[in-house]
Amino acid sequence: MVADPIISVRDLRKSYGTFEVLRGLSFDVARGERIAILGPSGSGKSTLIRCFNRIEPHDSGTLHIDGTVVDARCDLARLRAEVGIVFQNYNLFPHLSAVENCMLAPRLVRGMTRHAARDGAMRRLAQVGIAEQAAKYPIQLSGGQQQRVAIARALCMDPRVVLFDEPTAALDPEAVAGVAAIIDALARDGITTLCVTHEMGFARRIADRIVFMDDGQIMEIAPPETFFTSAVTERARAFLARMV
Amino acid sequence: MSIRSLFPPGRLRTVFLPAVLLFGLMTGTHARADPSSGLVHDGVLDVCTNPTLPPMTFVPGADASDLAGVDIDVARAVAQAWGARMVLHSMDFVGLFPSLESGRCAIVISGVTRQPARERLFDAVSYLPTALVVVARAGTRPIGSLADLSGQMVVTQSGTSYAARLERENAALAAQGRAPIRIQQYPAEEQVVQQVLLGRAFAFVSQDVELGFRARQLHGKVAVILQPQDDNYRSFALYIRKNPTDRAALQAAIDHLDQTGALRAIADKWHIRAATALTQDLSTPPRFDVRAFALALLSVGFARAALVTLAIALLSHATAIALSMPMALALNRPGGVVRRAVGLYVALFRAVPTLLQLLFVWNALPQFFPVFRGDWFSPFLAAWIALSLNEAAYQVEINRAALGAIDPGQLVAGEALGLTRFEVYRHVLFPQALRVALPPTINEFINLLKTTSLASVISLQELMALTQIHVARTFEFTEYYAVALVYYVAMVCVLLLTQKRVERRFHWADRVKAGAHGG
Repeated sequence: MVADPIISVRDLRKSYGTFEVLRGLSFDVARGERIAILGPSGSGKSTLIRCFNRIEPHDSGTLHIDGTVVDARCDLARLRAEVGIVFQNYNLFPHLSAVENCMLAPRLVRGMTRHAARDGAMRRLAQVGIAEQAAKYPIQLSGGQQQRVAIARALCMDPRVVLFDEPTAALDPEAVAGVAAIIDALARDGITTLCVTHEMGFARRIADRIVFMDDGQIMEIAPPETFFTSAVTERARAFLARMV
Repeated sequence: MSIRSLFPPGRLRTVFLPAVLLFGLMTGTHARADPSSGLVHDGVLDVCTNPTLPPMTFVPGADASDLAGVDIDVARAVAQAWGARMVLHSMDFVGLFPSLESGRCAIVISGVTRQPARERLFDAVSYLPTALVVVARAGTRPIGSLADLSGQMVVTQSGTSYAARLERENAALAAQGRAPIRIQQYPAEEQVVQQVLLGRAFAFVSQDVELGFRARQLHGKVAVILQPQDDNYRSFALYIRKNPTDRAALQAAIDHLDQTGALRAIADKWHIRAATALTQDLSTPPRFDVRAFALALLSVGFARAALVTLAIALLSHATAIALSMPMALALNRPGGVVRRAVGLYVALFRAVPTLLQLLFVWNALPQFFPVFRGDWFSPFLAAWIALSLNEAAYQVEINRAALGAIDPGQLVAGEALGLTRFEVYRHVLFPQALRVALPPTINEFINLLKTTSLASVISLQELMALTQIHVARTFEFTEYYAVALVYYVAMVCVLLLTQKRVERRFHWADRVKAGAHGG
């Protein structure tokens, strides 16, 4: 499907008890590609991306990320340094300031000195445009600012892939545009991004390809211009009709 | 005042039955070879006493470990006769016979009268004659019999048999259709006397020798109004575990001291005389002795006792927190045997009174496990163990609630960054849980600091134990109560200041305060 893919998924399955959330998914993602994952609530979008850094272990099927097999025996610390994630409600550490949030993993996982970790964290905070908020605690920051800190925190581990779980759910339009600009910048640096979202305009703006999921399966994969104008499947068309 | 005529057999059993029920058996006492020294082990005669009953057994000076009195002299003379060294174990009155039972000491001598009921459980040897007295405020008209106390409030020391004696009188009064004697019991002898001095009670029941000795302290404020003839209160006795050989050896030693005039000399030394010789009058109103208060407040003894109180509370709470951490984590995880075991532990230790836990660890453990009979098992260690186990049961609940209050997303976020489970707990979850757990934990510590006073029953010389010893010695209630109060208040104040300082580190949780600090 894609030459030299950074992510390769084959027949991925996962169940919670008797309920099958992921029902045999297969697709590839190219290096530096920007993917938006669309689909109705409960279609398994968040579960899918959480399998990529194994905070949700999959049950069967194979998953390769940058040549490494993701399974029960893989080096989790290495995998999670490679694959960063930004959560829907950010999950910043409330007892640490913005810069300390970004320093924690580099110090503990990479063994960096406090000084080096702080330099790296400040660079990333500047990259997402909130260096001046570095000393503030999460409770003092707006939703958009917290989102940026969460992105900076993920970038501090120098990931090759960044997963976004509903990054725009709680943001005003201006902040949404900011997140889109950040994702563009990441792509220019060769970082692959996968973004679960509900927002059609945002998906169209940031995605090289749209992955449309329903009922634990991939229904359609297409570039945004194709997907939004002439979706092939009945379900995708029904979904788009509901959303517009 | 009173000789505490030991508790009736029933009282003793209330302490020990739970032990028997729980474990199902009691181990036997050790076998003895040499009949002349059956009570002596390794050249040591272990003696248990509650030094709050002058002139029989008390603390004459500021040093709480320096005991004196008739009983101490008699025990020393017996030890000398056997070529042994006397080692005194000072403890609360209710701890005396359990300690004898558990083999911690060979002899109890603590102004205890000889009574047939008590001799069913222990062997007794008399060493000094005495008489029961009923004492009221000076100027009260003498009465003809115990029945004349009908309708009056009479106080006794708890743990003694006086209350049982009065109840017998009440049964007779009831048969005649008369009002019963109203009985109040207090844990310490000096509190008994105080009720009469305050006018709260009409009279108290006690033993003649102590009252004679107290005459000077009491400034003639009380007088004997009745000396009933009662065979149960005719003599003081030494008590040992049941053993005919030991009993004969002890009787021989006491007989020898009697024949040589040594007993007489001891009695004279402590001015043992009839209580009726007390003179009345000269009723000086009680004044707060500022000098005695200041001296006690600044004394090394009280500082040391306060240190013991603080140390046992700190050590116990630290141990409790260490124990409670893994238990709280286990409770927050689903299912399993461990979780049920922790639940059982928490239920058990919250259900059983702390006092019982202390007595159990101190007196019952040595019965089941001889290793705990050694000198290394000190009252401090026993209190540490008991209070730690007790406190951990409460701390588990605090920790569980604090960990449960944290957003589960925090654990996921930490792990998604590549942190190990341990690193997530150490750097992400615990710092946040601490903020939730700190106020109730400080509350628990303040409670624990005060609960340590219970450890006086296992002879730990903490603040309240020392206070009671000094009150018994001097009868200066308010002065010594005030000293203890100052120490407790000071310790808690320092604690509250510390809490304020620590809570300042939690400004991250408060938008306004975070602004003031974070900038």
